[in-house]
Amino acid sequence: MRSAGVKWIGWAVLIAGLVLYPRLLGIYYTNLFVTLAVFGLYSVSFNMLLGYTGLLSFGHALFFGAGGYGAALALKHLTGISLLTAVGIGLLAAVVLALLLCPLVVRISGTAFCMLHLAFGQLMHMLAMKLRNITGGEDGIGGFPLPAVLSFDMKVPSNFYYFAMAVLGLSLWLMWFFTKTPFGQIQVGVRENAKRIDYLGFRITQTKAVVYVTAAAFAGVAGAIYALFQNLISADSGFHVMVSFAPVIMTMIGGIGSFFGPIWGAAIFQILEEVTSRFTDRVELVVGLILILTILFAPGGLAGLIQYVKQRWFAPKAGLEKAV
Amino acid sequence: MDPTTAMYVAQGIHGLAYGMILFLVASGLNIIFGMMGILNLAHASFFMLSAYFCYQFILWTGNFWMALVLAPVVTAFFGILVERFLLRKVHALGHLGELILTMGVSLVVLAGVKIFWGTESLPIKIPPLLEGLVKLRGLDYPIYRLFIIGLALVVLVLMALLLYKTRLGKIVRAAVSDPDMVDALGINMRRVFMLVFGVGTWLAGVAGVAIAPILTVFPGLSDQMGMDAFIVVVTGGFGSLAGAFIVSIVFGLLSSYGVQFLSQLAPLLMFIFMAVVLAIRPMGLFGERE
Repeated sequence: MRSAGVKWIGWAVLIAGLVLYPRLLGIYYTNLFVTLAVFGLYSVSFNMLLGYTGLLSFGHALFFGAGGYGAALALKHLTGISLLTAVGIGLLAAVVLALLLCPLVVRISGTAFCMLHLAFGQLMHMLAMKLRNITGGEDGIGGFPLPAVLSFDMKVPSNFYYFAMAVLGLSLWLMWFFTKTPFGQIQVGVRENAKRIDYLGFRITQTKAVVYVTAAAFAGVAGAIYALFQNLISADSGFHVMVSFAPVIMTMIGGIGSFFGPIWGAAIFQILEEVTSRFTDRVELVVGLILILTILFAPGGLAGLIQYVKQRWFAPKAGLEKAV
Repeated sequence: MDPTTAMYVAQGIHGLAYGMILFLVASGLNIIFGMMGILNLAHASFFMLSAYFCYQFILWTGNFWMALVLAPVVTAFFGILVERFLLRKVHALGHLGELILTMGVSLVVLAGVKIFWGTESLPIKIPPLLEGLVKLRGLDYPIYRLFIIGLALVVLVLMALLLYKTRLGKIVRAAVSDPDMVDALGINMRRVFMLVFGVGTWLAGVAGVAIAPILTVFPGLSDQMGMDAFIVVVTGGFGSLAGAFIVSIVFGLLSSYGVQFLSQLAPLLMFIFMAVVLAIRPMGLFGERE
């Protein structure tokens, strides 16, 4: 009973904090938080593939960019659609792309899966650059209208913040729910021992395909929100290799296989980038060093580090119990 | 020869030269993968690093030939350092750790190159001996491209001799098929791994120096080559040198004829080729495992 009460108080504090955040900290930090939340959702969707089914992708930007372009194109060409519909179209674009790739990619795993996605990501980047009349080339699609939601003007940063938080929060909750269903448990089983799951009578390729499409869908939502937030989507902001590497880095820092780890990773990475960019413009150097140091000294990421500290210093005295 | 055939032949030689460079890079990647199971994302960065070393040596000494010999060796030394002090430590974490580590290394190399040499592209002059064109049966070929093909063939023969005629080559071939067993036979596998990593980066280094006078040296040099080399290794089959060779040549020709006939879609041809191959054989053309 007590823990349930604490849990509800925790949720209430979290929601109150999120509601009050733009009033307390101003426009700059509000926008920073939206970016953080977008990449948080994007990384969680990436970790759904990596942490829960063990599939590492170096081309997750495929779906992020598809979502972004989907939403931007819808708002530019279709008049009278609502903002939520545009996000839905972004999601749909990512899902369609994932369904197209599915028959090929669910049959492979490991390094081939990873590299094939890197190649597809590059392919999409190239297409976005070349098909100028649709995608606007390297300038991208910008300045599309942002229709009001419930008569709130979306060009006001704090209004957009609430919209983004609602959509991203709902997506996050849906994914959390998804991993807790019996089907979500099968995913973990596929990662741990695919053969055994096969013998238990579950279909591995189909399981992988469903996870793949779901991960793509939520990456699409993140991309769509990002495009709306920037009011711009371009080949570089949607499909660039660094967009694909961002969730890899954030998940590594936060901790693979922990559901909320990637969000912490996104937060840490965002803050680090914010701080370092004040002193130096060598972002690659900082990112590269972070990756090397993390993998050398804290391969479990932040989640692994916390667990280690817990076991080392805060664990109940296991030794004593044994002695008794 | 009439002008049209002459053009086809010239394009073919261009494609062959690029294919040979690609093979040098891809074979290094493939040896490292076949033996150590490491997909080295920093491989193309070593290729670029070697081109920068070549520029620096020419700046100091003015001698291209010395740069051709020294730059790949210095690059290989850096490769060995990375293997000894970084890769070896994360080997226990499996594929994921190695991929992330080598990605980190490639970012650091990129940043380092920008810090030391700046972002503009640096020209390297073709040495006077290899400048100009050579006339063969009424056709003008640039000598330097022929030199690249020749150089790659020499390296290929050297590698083949090393692999099939020496004791080290025997160990390497045995280790490709079963590293644990070779280790159990009392051969110091850690040292062999280090050596193989060095040879792999040396191959990338040779390619880097060879291509530098054609493309100039700039921080984006590794992007295209890295991607192409990975596609070659994935399509040809992990751990198969013959596969890497054939696919490299095919890709070189595809890209040079592709630019001529379908200029807009030329870069797509490689991706389509790869997708078709992987859809039919997920382990690549000549690969034996995934």
